[in-house]
Amino acid sequence: MLCANESFRVATVEFRPRTTDSYTDACTVVTAEAEPTAAEKTVLVCEDDPNLRTLVRLALGEGYRFFEAPDGPSGLALAERTRPDLIVLDLMLPGQSGLDVLAEIRHSDELAETPVLVMSAWSYADEAALAAGADAFVPKPFDPDKLREAALELLEGDGAAD
Amino acid sequence: MARRTDRSSATLSARLMAGSALLALLVAAAFGVFIFAVRTLDDATKRERHTKAVSAETLQLERLVLDLDTGLRGFVLTGRQDLLAPWTSARAALPQSLRSFRRLASTAPAERRRADTLVTSINQYVDGYAVPVVDIARTNPDAARTEVVSQEGARELADIRSRFADFLSTENALAAARTSTAQRRSDAAIAAAIAGMIASALLIAGFGLYLARSIARPVREVAEGATRLAGGDLATRLDPQGVGEVEELTQAFNRMAERLEAGRRELEEQNKRLRESERAKSELVSVVAHELRTPLASVLGFTSVLLQREVTDEQRREYLNIIEAQARRLGALVNDFLDVQRLEEGKLSIAKELVDIGSVVREQTELFAGQSPKHLLDVSLPPTPLPVRGDSNRLAQVVANLLSNAIKYSPLGGVVRVAGKRDDDVVRVSIQDEGVGIPADLQREIFGKFVRGQATAEGIEGSGLGLAISRSLVEAHGGSIDFESTKGRGSTFWFELPTASSG
Repeated sequence: MLCANESFRVATVEFRPRTTDSYTDACTVVTAEAEPTAAEKTVLVCEDDPNLRTLVRLALGEGYRFFEAPDGPSGLALAERTRPDLIVLDLMLPGQSGLDVLAEIRHSDELAETPVLVMSAWSYADEAALAAGADAFVPKPFDPDKLREAALELLEGDGAAD
Repeated sequence: MARRTDRSSATLSARLMAGSALLALLVAAAFGVFIFAVRTLDDATKRERHTKAVSAETLQLERLVLDLDTGLRGFVLTGRQDLLAPWTSARAALPQSLRSFRRLASTAPAERRRADTLVTSINQYVDGYAVPVVDIARTNPDAARTEVVSQEGARELADIRSRFADFLSTENALAAARTSTAQRRSDAAIAAAIAGMIASALLIAGFGLYLARSIARPVREVAEGATRLAGGDLATRLDPQGVGEVEELTQAFNRMAERLEAGRRELEEQNKRLRESERAKSELVSVVAHELRTPLASVLGFTSVLLQREVTDEQRREYLNIIEAQARRLGALVNDFLDVQRLEEGKLSIAKELVDIGSVVREQTELFAGQSPKHLLDVSLPPTPLPVRGDSNRLAQVVANLLSNAIKYSPLGGVVRVAGKRDDDVVRVSIQDEGVGIPADLQREIFGKFVRGQATAEGIEGSGLGLAISRSLVEAHGGSIDFESTKGRGSTFWFELPTASSG
C-alpha cells in the first residue's frame, strides 16, 4: 500500500486497469524505475504467484531490469511496450493459459524472436511448451541457480545472435 | 399378462387338439367306409355263393324228379324190374334233397313261398301220381299204360319243370339284382373312402402347413434371433406372430433381448462412468501435484536463496515469512485434498447430532473477528436456537470457509454481514461481503475444485478447494448452498439445512 504511484509509469496503466491499490501486492508488479539503458538487459516475468516473481528476480540477481505481469493479456501488452530480452513465462495463468500467450508471442511480428523460458509445476508440460516455441523449460519447484543458468544461456545467446 | 398367456396358450392347445381330433375322426370315418365296402363285397360274394348253391340244389332236385319219371316210364312201358332202378334211387335221395332245398331256399319270404310251392307240387307228383302208377303197374301193367295215365303224368311233370325253370330264373334275377346292388354300394363306399382319404391327406397337409406357419417358422425365427443375439446384436427384435405359446415365446424373446440390451447399456454407462471417474481422479492427481508444487517452489526457492545468498536481516525475515506461509498453505492443501477425497468417496462420516447452527455461527464469527481489524463483522441471529441435525465440526468448517472467503475477497475491508434465520422447515445462514465479487464467467464453476480465478494473481491465498468442500459438506447434510455476486460490489453466499425436529 505504500508504493508510489509514479513508479508504475506507463506499463502500470496498461496491465492493471482496475484500481491498483485494491491489492496488497500491487506494488510488486513492476520494478522498472527508469528507461532501460543500452547495456541493461530487460526481463519480463509473467507469473501469477507474487512470491515466485520475487524469486525469479532474486535468482537472476543484479544487473537486469524486470517487468512483471500477473496474467497473459497484461504480460503481452507489457512485452509489446518494453520489447524484453527474455520472457519468463508461467503456464498456469488465470484467464489465458501460458501456452496461448506463447503462441501469441510467436505469431507477433515484434516478439517472435524473443527468447522465452517457460516454467511450470505441471508434470510433462515441457514437451508441450517446447513444441509451442519455448526456448527453455524449467520445472517448478526450481533451484534458483538452475533458473539463472537457463536464463543466462538465453540472454547471452540472444546477445550473440544480435 | 399372465391371464392373457393362459388364454392364448389354451387357444393354441385347443386348436391343435381340435385339429388332431378332426383329422382322427376323418381318417376313422374313411376307414369305416372302407370296411363297410369290404363287408358289402363280402356279403355279395356270400349271396352269390348261396345263390349258386340254391341253383345247384334245384338242378339236383330236378334231376331226381326226371330220374323218377324216367324209371317210372321204363317200368310202366316194359314191366322190367331193372328199369325201375333210377326210380328207386331217386326216391331214396328225394327226401334228403327236398330238405336241403328248403333249407337253402329260405332266405327271403317270397323265395320260401316259391320253394314251398315247388316242393308241394313235387310231393303231389310223387305221392299223387308216380307212387300210385308204379303200384298199379306192378299189379296191372296194362291199366298203368293207358293214355290218360301217361298224359296225366306228362302234364304234371311239365308243370313241375316249368316251376323249376321259373324258380331258377327268379333266383338268378334276384341274385343278379343283389349282386348289382352290392356292387353299387361297394363302389359308392370305395369312392367315399377314397374321397375321405384324399380329404384326410389334404387336411393332414394343411395341418402340417398350419403347424409350420404357426409353430415351426416362428420357432425358426426365434432360433435365428437367438443366434444373432448370441453373436452380440442385442438390438435384435422379433415380430410378435403366431398364437398362444408361440406368440408368448416371441414376446418373451423380445423382453429378454430388451433386458440384455438394457443390461449392456447399463454396463457400458457404468464403465463410462468408471472411466470418467478414473480420468477425473488422474486429472485430480495431476492438479494436486501442480497445486502442491507451486507453494513448494516458494519454500524451496526462498530456502535456497537464504542458504546461498547474502541477505539483509529484513530480507531474511521477509523470506522466512514467505516460507512459513507457503509451508502452512501446503499443510492446509493436504488437509483440504484429503477432505475432498473422502467426501467424494462418501467416506467422510457425518455425525447426526442436534446442532444449534446459531451458536456455531457465533463461535466462528468471534474467531474471525480478531483476525482482521479492517473488517466489521455484523452478526444477526434470532434469540431462539436454529436446530439442525449434523456434525458441528463440519458445519463450523463450512461457516469458517465462507467467513474466510468473505474476508479474503474484500481486501479493502468493509462490513461482513452474517445472518441466521429459520424459514418454516429450513435454517438459512448467509454471509455477505463488500468485496471484489466474482466475475460472471467464473460464477458457473465457482464450486469446482481448484477454481480460483484471479485470486493467485491478486495475492489471495487459498487452495481453491474451500467452496468445493463446503458444498459437499452441506449436501452431505441434506442441504443446499448458493450465492449471488456482482463483480466489484461483493458476494453473498448462503446455505440452507433442514430444520431438526425438536423432538
